[in-house]
Parts: sequence; structure tokens; C-alpha cells
Amino acid sequence: MTTPATTDTLTDRYVAAVLRHLPGSRRSGSRRSEEQRPEDQRPDIDIERELRASIADAVDGRVDAGADRAEAEFAVLTELGDPARLAAGYADRPLQLIGPALYLDYTRLLTALLVTIVPAVAVAVGLVQGLRGAGALDLVGDTLDAALTTAAHLVCWTTLLFAAIERVAGRVTAGAAGRRTPARRWTPDALPEPPTRRARYGELIFYTVAMVLFATLVLLSPVISTETDAHGAPIGVFAPWLWQTGFVYAFIALVTLNLAVAYAKHYARWSVPLAVAGTLVEIACPIALLWLAAGDRVLNPGFTQAAAWPQSATTWINTALIVVSALTIVFAVIDGIARATRR
Amino acid sequence: MWHVHDDDELLATHLQELRRGTVVLACLLMLERPDYGYALLDRLTRAGLAVDANTLYPLLRRLEKQGLVTSDWNTEESRPRKFYRTSDRGAALAAALSRDWDELDTVLRSLKGAS
Repeated sequence: MTTPATTDTLTDRYVAAVLRHLPGSRRSGSRRSEEQRPEDQRPDIDIERELRASIADAVDGRVDAGADRAEAEFAVLTELGDPARLAAGYADRPLQLIGPALYLDYTRLLTALLVTIVPAVAVAVGLVQGLRGAGALDLVGDTLDAALTTAAHLVCWTTLLFAAIERVAGRVTAGAAGRRTPARRWTPDALPEPPTRRARYGELIFYTVAMVLFATLVLLSPVISTETDAHGAPIGVFAPWLWQTGFVYAFIALVTLNLAVAYAKHYARWSVPLAVAGTLVEIACPIALLWLAAGDRVLNPGFTQAAAWPQSATTWINTALIVVSALTIVFAVIDGIARATRR
Repeated sequence: MWHVHDDDELLATHLQELRRGTVVLACLLMLERPDYGYALLDRLTRAGLAVDANTLYPLLRRLEKQGLVTSDWNTEESRPRKFYRTSDRGAALAAALSRDWDELDTVLRSLKGAS
């Protein structure tokens, strides 16, 4: 059996472990202000004295009932449980990372960040690698790597921020009662407002006009131009390659398909096949545009030369097209997800 | 009714939920007569309201912080002990909680009578 000397240290070790977990305790690497208080007013000293008395009382109670002193001490400390948990009780500290009051705000912010920033970073990295002419394997690997790293950072820092708020706010509102009530009251005003059918129809009209205008201008561009060659024939602003390969017609077909999807979204009921097809069609156009701009297949070199545009102009236009296309892809994906979750 | 082992666990969870708030009320009522932690634990257990020591001790300090009980160190005996006593504020809260308990009891009785 254990000797009294070692069982004494069992209580000592237990009390010391509790005090180590108390804020402002001498043994937890104390704060100055606590040091300067008179001994009998310091909460950790008070807790230590009371805890020692309580343990001794409980041990005596078991010994009086016929137990061995060492066994009694072991049983009493076992009942008191993990010192960190007891200390958390004394300090009124939360035993959760993020409590119910903050949890919904936490998940909302985290979801919003992950859904917007991760795809944006992935597209940007993929583009840069694509422009550099990296191999398909490198491109996919680097894009995935960037997406995962970004997601990990977002989760880590958002969680850390909310865990800190949980602890600071818990102390400010003084304890358990304050922590259980949400920081902001929820009212039905916070419900997302569905855009009116009329407003959405206005958008549809605008979209249609813009798309038709765009397609017309693209198709007419070889014959209408500010520049002409030596024979007086117009020099188209867009690369002749587009017409030679028939790519421009495929692109216009995609634009038309986009319009059809916009109308289908307006009039048909939401369904998974429609949503997936719609999002695919929506991102097909920007992806095609992206691929064209990345390969410098948009502008006609003959036109820029005739118009005496600097070389950097072509680079800037291509870059702008890439950025706009990337953003369009990101927003199409976000919109798709938002519509799906609204069901 | 509660034969299956899973049901025992379920019952224990719900009993704990049901009894959670009664510990505070019992403490405030019992501490009309000043007492120290371990003795109060003993009295509660013998009264049929078993509480874990690691729940009760922090609770007493929390009640003190909220001004519902006051405390005094008794150093006359060989082992110094911290004695708690229900304050006026604590007594008022205990009265309000008791009234609520009685109302709940009435409501539950009428529900049982109605079914």
C-alpha cells in the first residue's frame, strides 16, 4: 500500500493542477494586479484553502465510514475528476471552442468565405499556371494545392477569431447566463428577400438585349472596322483564326444557349438537372473566352498594327478578359450553390 | 416501462435536464442555515438531491459572485472552513424560484389529470 507521505502529495498534486488552470493564479504565471492584492482576497488562495478543506472533509467522511485513508483520498480525488474541468468550473470558463450563441454566425461566415475565396484562388492560380504554359499535371496539382491551403487558412483563422470572441464575450457578459443568449436577436426581417418577378424580368430583358448586341457586333466585326488594308478592305478587330476555324460560330451558339438557360431559369421550376446544365452552360462561355485570351487568339494582330496600338495594349486586353472570365465563372458557381441551398 | 439499456441512458439524460435548475434552489433554501461545502454536499445527498462535488463547489462560488450567498471563513476549529449563507437577494430569488416550481407542479398535475 502507499505510505501517508506519498498520498499527501496526491492531494497536493491535485490542488496544484487545479490552480495551474485558474487565470491569475500565482502558479499559472500570474498577472501583476493579482500579485499586489492582499493574500486573503486573492481568489486562487481562497479556492486552494477551500478545496483543501473540502477534500480533507470528504476523506475524513470516508475514513469514518471505515475506509483506508489512502484509498479514501484516491476515491475522493477520482470523484472530483479532471482538475482542468474543475478549474474551468471555478473560472466560469467555457468548455467549448464556440458556443451556441456564436455557432450560427461562425458557420455562416465560414461558408461564405469558403464558397467565394477558395474558387477564386483556385481559378486565379490555374490561370497563372496555364498562362505560364505549365503541364496539365502541374496545373491541376498547383490549383488543388492552392485551394486546399486557402481553405485550411480560412478555417483556422475564422475558428480562432470566434474562439477568442467566445472567451472575451463570456467574460464581459459575466458568465454562463450571458453566454447562452445569442448576441444579436433574430427577427423575421433577417429572412432573405426573394427578388420580385418583375425586377428579375427586367434583368432578363437587359441580358437579352446585351447578348444580341454582342453577337451582332462580333459577327459584323470583319466587315465593319476603323482600319483598312492597302486595297481598302476592312481589317477585323478580332483574330481571323476565329473565323477560319469556325470557333466564333460555336461561341455565338454558346451565347445563345446562355440566353435559353436564362429564360429556362425564369420560367421553369428549379430542378437539379436544369441547375447543373445551366451552370455548365454559364461557365462554358467564360472558359472559352479565357482559353482564347490566354492563347492570344482574341485580337487580330493585323488590326493592332494598323491601328498602331502598343504591344502592351494586347497584353492588357487579354489580362482583363481573363480576369473578367474568371470572376464570371466564380459568380456563376456561387449563384448555382445559392439557388440550390435556397430550395 | 424502462427495460432496455439504451432507455436507461435516455432516462438519465432527461432526469439530469429536469433536475439541473433545482440544485440552485435547494442550495439557496438549505443555506438559510450557514454551512460549508462538504457538509452541504452531504445534506443534499441525504435529502435525496445528489450533486457531484465538482459541480457544487464551483456553483457556490458562482452564487457568491452573483450576490446570492455570502461567505465567511470560520477559523475557530482546527480545520478552517468557508461557510456560505443565503443573502437577502438569494432568499428573494429562492422565493421566486419556489413560486415557479409550484406553478409548474400545478400545470403538470392538471396536464396529467386532463390526459
